[in-house]
Amino acid sequence: MSAAREFDLELHLLDRQVVDADGRMVSKVDDLELNLDDGGNPYVTAILVGPRALGPRTGGHLGRWMTAIAARLAGSQDPPRIDFGHVVDIGEEIKLGCRVDDLDVQSLEDWIREKVISRIPGSNHAS
Amino acid sequence: MKRIFGVALGILTAIGGFVDIGDLVTNALVGSRFGLSLVWATLVGVVGICLYAEMSGRVAAITGRGTFDLVRERLGPRVGMANLVASFLVTLLTFAAEVGGVALALELATSVNYLLIVPIVGVAIWFVIWRVKFSVLENTFGLLGLVLIVFGVALWKLNPDWGDLFRQISRPHKPTDESLPVYFYYAIALFGAAMTPYEVFFFSSGGVEEKWTKKDIITERVNVFVGFPLGGLLSVAIAAVAALVLLPANIQVDTIGQVGLPVAVAAGKIALAIAILGFVAATFGAALETGLSCGYTVAQYYGWQWGKFVRPKEASRFHLVVLMALIAAVGTVLTTIDPVKITEYSVVFSAVALPLTYFPILVIANDPDYMGTETNGRISNFLASIFLVIIVVASVAAIPLMLYTKAGQ
Repeated sequence: MSAAREFDLELHLLDRQVVDADGRMVSKVDDLELNLDDGGNPYVTAILVGPRALGPRTGGHLGRWMTAIAARLAGSQDPPRIDFGHVVDIGEEIKLGCRVDDLDVQSLEDWIREKVISRIPGSNHAS
Repeated sequence: MKRIFGVALGILTAIGGFVDIGDLVTNALVGSRFGLSLVWATLVGVVGICLYAEMSGRVAAITGRGTFDLVRERLGPRVGMANLVASFLVTLLTFAAEVGGVALALELATSVNYLLIVPIVGVAIWFVIWRVKFSVLENTFGLLGLVLIVFGVALWKLNPDWGDLFRQISRPHKPTDESLPVYFYYAIALFGAAMTPYEVFFFSSGGVEEKWTKKDIITERVNVFVGFPLGGLLSVAIAAVAALVLLPANIQVDTIGQVGLPVAVAAGKIALAIAILGFVAATFGAALETGLSCGYTVAQYYGWQWGKFVRPKEASRFHLVVLMALIAAVGTVLTTIDPVKITEYSVVFSAVALPLTYFPILVIANDPDYMGTETNGRISNFLASIFLVIIVVASVAAIPLMLYTKAGQ
């Protein structure tokens, strides 16, 4: 991201759709991970996805509930992250240079696919 | 030639797909109680749905994104979530009403108790959503729904005084035995039935499913501005035959059979059979649309892969949401709550939820960041703003009127 463009994190990153190299929808940008460089300037290190990232931003009972359930199921408080190095384009969508299967960010999708959807005949046929 | 065929098909589908259980029941019910004095509410609703469906379709064509996708982006996770919960529940309630409607229509045709038919309807809906191609699903039921034109034939056969009908529509008089709050309660119900939020979710997501681009905007506009008003005319015909046959006989519509009764009286048995076929097609088609819309809204909010354009395996969470919504809808009907009652509440709650859907669409359709040069024109913004006021008034007034009139009694 060397091009001299200014991005408003809230406007241009948060809640935008993330798609992978094949155009598959990955998630929304549920939250961002920031770090400080040596000069004390914040920079984005990762896109955080899933209920554990979204819950605190949703707030209220529902948000806490969402975070707690996801943390319990996953056995960890930390949301899945997509390293910002994977991002190749920031536009209407945030495009990644890798495939979603190479990232470990879709445990619920994978679980539902394995336990439910792929057991139904015809799940492998586009209609 | 292919292009003309596509446009014609789109128009026909839009006409046939316009009417759902909410339109059938509410228009017949209102016709049998208020004559033609509330047709204005349907007409206002039709103009509204045309305006906002066109916007959502244009947004889908330009951005390739469904309505709820952008709702989250514009409103943020918190307000977006509140919006999602409300929109999802209303769509689920409508889904249950459509499922019940299919079963009731099949009960009319077979005399088998509708509760026995409901599970079969559930399986059929799931099978179609799981296996049938999006464009086939949309076109088949839209085209079959066209047979509801039989209501127009029935109206013509009743040989009414057309001048008088026109006077009743253009100079509405509230019937003296109905109170003003009840009159406006049903105006809101008709408005909600015409503008049901799922229509926009489905229309915009359908645009993405069929991979619309900028050059499809013309087709999309013709579908909406020609198809929807003609579909709205079907709604008016349903109300008009009820007004001509049921109102004088003092019959108040509270079953699907009574919706079709005027057709039987005016045009005979075969016409009634055609009307019942139309009921099945219209409600089954709308059940598919509402069921898919349950999945579209949730998946688009969370950014999950959705849609029938990928293999079900690649959109597991989306398909699971649709499946669970179907189970919930079938379960609701199996509680033996009268589907006609579910329908009456679903249209009113639709009216309550309208601003949640329509306000973000108006905002996005005006945002050059998303729309480039295809933002709203001045006329469409002027009209849409007027409608936003109407929508908010109807939304705020709906629940108090429902409580005050005991749901229109």
